[in-house]
Amino acid sequence: MFQFDYADADYMRSVWLERISSALQLLTALTITLATLSFSHYASAQTTNATTEAGPRLTLTKMSDVGSGGLLLKSQYDGYFLEAPALATDVDISVNGLIARTKITQRFENPSQAWVEGVYVFPLPDNSAVDTLRMQIGDRFIEGQIKERQEARRVYEAARDAGQRASLIEQGRPNMFTNSVANIGPGETVIVQIEYQEMIRYDGAQFHLRFPMVVGPRFIPPVDAQLVSYGTAENTQIVYRDPVPDADRITPPVLHPTQGQQNPIDLTVYLNAGIPIEQIRSAHHDIKVKREDENGAKISFVHQDEVANRDFELVWQTKSGNKPLTALFKETRDGKTYIAGFVVPPKDSAAEARQSRETIFVIDNSGSMGGASILQAKESLLYALTTLVEGDRFNVIRFDDTTDSVFRTPQLVSGQSIAVAKRYIENLEAEGGTMMLPALQSALNDTSVEIDDEERLRQVVFLTDGAIGNEAQLFEEIDRSLGRSRLFTVGIGSAPNSYFMSRAARLGRGTFTHIGSERQVKERMAALLSKLSAPVMTGVSVSTRDAAAAEIWPNPLPDLYAGEPIVFTAMVAEEAPRFTIRGQTLKGAWSTRLSVKDAETASGVARIWARNKIASLEEWRFQGANLTTIDTQVLAVALEHDLVTRLTSLVAVDHDVARPAQTRLETQDVPLNLPEGWDFDKVFGEQVPTRRASYQSPEAKVMLASLDTSSTSATGAIGDDTQGLALPQGSTDRWLLLIIGLACMIGGLVMSVLQWREISAASRRELI
Amino acid sequence: MTRPQTKTLASAALFAAGAVFLAWSAYIPIKAAVAQVLLEQAWQRTLTGDQTAKPWPWADTWPVARIAVPRLNRSAIVLHGASGQAMAFGPGHMTATPAIGAPGTAVIAAHRDTHFRFVKDLALGDTIEVATADGDVRDFVVSATKIVHAESSGLNPTLAGATGTTLALVTCYPFDAIAHGPLRYVVFADLVPEEKLLPS
Repeated sequence: MFQFDYADADYMRSVWLERISSALQLLTALTITLATLSFSHYASAQTTNATTEAGPRLTLTKMSDVGSGGLLLKSQYDGYFLEAPALATDVDISVNGLIARTKITQRFENPSQAWVEGVYVFPLPDNSAVDTLRMQIGDRFIEGQIKERQEARRVYEAARDAGQRASLIEQGRPNMFTNSVANIGPGETVIVQIEYQEMIRYDGAQFHLRFPMVVGPRFIPPVDAQLVSYGTAENTQIVYRDPVPDADRITPPVLHPTQGQQNPIDLTVYLNAGIPIEQIRSAHHDIKVKREDENGAKISFVHQDEVANRDFELVWQTKSGNKPLTALFKETRDGKTYIAGFVVPPKDSAAEARQSRETIFVIDNSGSMGGASILQAKESLLYALTTLVEGDRFNVIRFDDTTDSVFRTPQLVSGQSIAVAKRYIENLEAEGGTMMLPALQSALNDTSVEIDDEERLRQVVFLTDGAIGNEAQLFEEIDRSLGRSRLFTVGIGSAPNSYFMSRAARLGRGTFTHIGSERQVKERMAALLSKLSAPVMTGVSVSTRDAAAAEIWPNPLPDLYAGEPIVFTAMVAEEAPRFTIRGQTLKGAWSTRLSVKDAETASGVARIWARNKIASLEEWRFQGANLTTIDTQVLAVALEHDLVTRLTSLVAVDHDVARPAQTRLETQDVPLNLPEGWDFDKVFGEQVPTRRASYQSPEAKVMLASLDTSSTSATGAIGDDTQGLALPQGSTDRWLLLIIGLACMIGGLVMSVLQWREISAASRRELI
Repeated sequence: MTRPQTKTLASAALFAAGAVFLAWSAYIPIKAAVAQVLLEQAWQRTLTGDQTAKPWPWADTWPVARIAVPRLNRSAIVLHGASGQAMAFGPGHMTATPAIGAPGTAVIAAHRDTHFRFVKDLALGDTIEVATADGDVRDFVVSATKIVHAESSGLNPTLAGATGTTLALVTCYPFDAIAHGPLRYVVFADLVPEEKLLPS
């Protein structure tokens, strides 16, 4: 209509009207876009909004948004989740005679869109000497350095915060380590290699190699309070002791069985026994054995889809039969000669008279024993009862977060007392927490004095999976209360805490055994019960002519039970010393001589010696030795031999900066499988009085408050860590929405007004 | 379609969109206020022992504490978790931090334009009364304020102020900004030890 009107101001007005109206349309489009954007922003990233210009937005997921696939873990943002780092492990074990060297390759893959620090808690044999760390990035290798623990952590954290790739191996327990791998980019893989050596265990004419694959969830006893008096009533204070100060570091998240299983593992053993092998067996895995020659074999898994959820146990027998076995290995390192000696004393043929006993059986029926473990433990215990004879005394103690026993005091064996105990054992159910200390105390409490019946051997047989975090507290108790009792530990289930089993048995002057399946119950219990009679050799010592010329570990050497060898390591100054080995058997004194001249050269002996020394020194800690002296000595040995210990860690740092500045690093635990045969609900049902609960208990409050003396500034919570807690979004979109809404309404209003004027102008023209 | 018709439609659409946005904008504070009323009822149940008293059946959060500032005459029920959903209804206690009143620094976050509008008015020395689910009521005193970057707050919840137990109230900064930003305003308040409350 008005297009044909060229002449007057009306034309100009119509041009303007058109411009304004298209501008308004543009505004509408813009507003809707903005609104959509702001809405999606609000919905999907309300807490992650504060992305700086420099970094890409972190992709986080809400639990309700999960479709399938990846495993999600809590991120540092409340209510948001991040895909967990994935891990695959490859294990190569080379056995040469009695020494095994193991190379573990851990591949950390980050499936998420964020930069991640992966933290993986993994087990190793409790006598393993970790000496090598290597990080692979692309085709480059970065060798790890041994450093004092704090220094290693500083180096690692500095590299981590600077965006460099780094890996840190720390010891949580002698059989539990943590690998922290910093700055794994979105979709990237970082490979870390760890190597260690250990000595093969020989027992009952069999060689045992054990490779643990998963750390079973540990029970953390709550902080306990004690009244301590400094003379007067006013000076009496409540002192709080946390039995597991490092609980946060040893309790990684565990996958619920419905989440599937992670951490695939492949394992190969290159076995060279040094002597002809008769038989090779694996207790808990299907294996392929490829015999290379009569001394050697290559062992691998039959199934390609094994996951890290139970101990691998390889047992082999040699054709040497009952002949006494002696072996000496040596290694020269930095001008020093190290010896590993191994002697199986001749069997005592004299049939010993059976001494009457008082045997206290302790069975762990806490939640972690749920499933297969409690069945194995019950069966082991029922079998043990059948081996008791009339005249023996016995009792059965059970514990979870409570302790209880069949009889108030040990009873004489009779048809009736055995029947009562059997019924008691059969009715046990695995549930609740693992408060081991009271059970241990009552088992070690020797009541025979009261009834004047001290002639018997007193033995405590302790069946547990050792899924506790307060090892140190228990070791102290064993050392303090052992008396004339002897402690025999039986590690039950697919992933027992072998460190607890072996050290508790050593401090308890007994021995330990593992039962990982029902098939093993009879064989292993029979072997253990035959050992129970008495040590076959006590007062074992190894000496050289010149006592100062050799440093021999372990110190003291343990008593020997039937089927066990004497194993020692020494650092010697002389070129070719002779060792004299002495011991007391039931028949009298026994001794033998060994000459270093006959020693075979073997690599790894030096580090095994160092590890033995450290283990002995650490053991002295529980026996009240001076802690500072021990620390100094442990540190010196560890640094000299590059070993990861309580005081030293291995750290590897790449010089390249990988993560862009201003990009956040998310710390994520690698989730662990539940050990095979465990019952998730039973285990985590037991976690009632754990860390989080005790965190809020008044005791913990006092304790934690006292730890925080360093931060007394007004903004005490601002630490040195520049990253800190990620804070959530602190505003809504209401004002933005209000402005958009008002803009729209004003726009609509302006448009209608203009339109109205236009229409009235047109109608005016028509009238003219 | 002729041009005037298009224009009429466009202006109608703009009106409608404007109305929706205005309603939405109004809905946020209304929701925030209504939720607090329901939460107040849930809180009463919490105090009688129902540890996870849900304010409405489908809620995925529950009250964990009640904070009040007597000087400003303001109070709010604090919810478990500081996710976006929870914070629409009330201040959220970040689950990654210690429990409120436990040693360390407990972080409570809320929107500066709803529940934490009063935070900008808090001054050093102000008292914040904190009631927790166990029935305890404790006083915290504002000891510091700080503006931090959300992604690098430097805030370590295991550390705390002089008394070992600190509360950090977090909201967006600047207070009058229209859009979201990366900055956060943090008010630190330290627990007043019980002894000081006793007459000396």
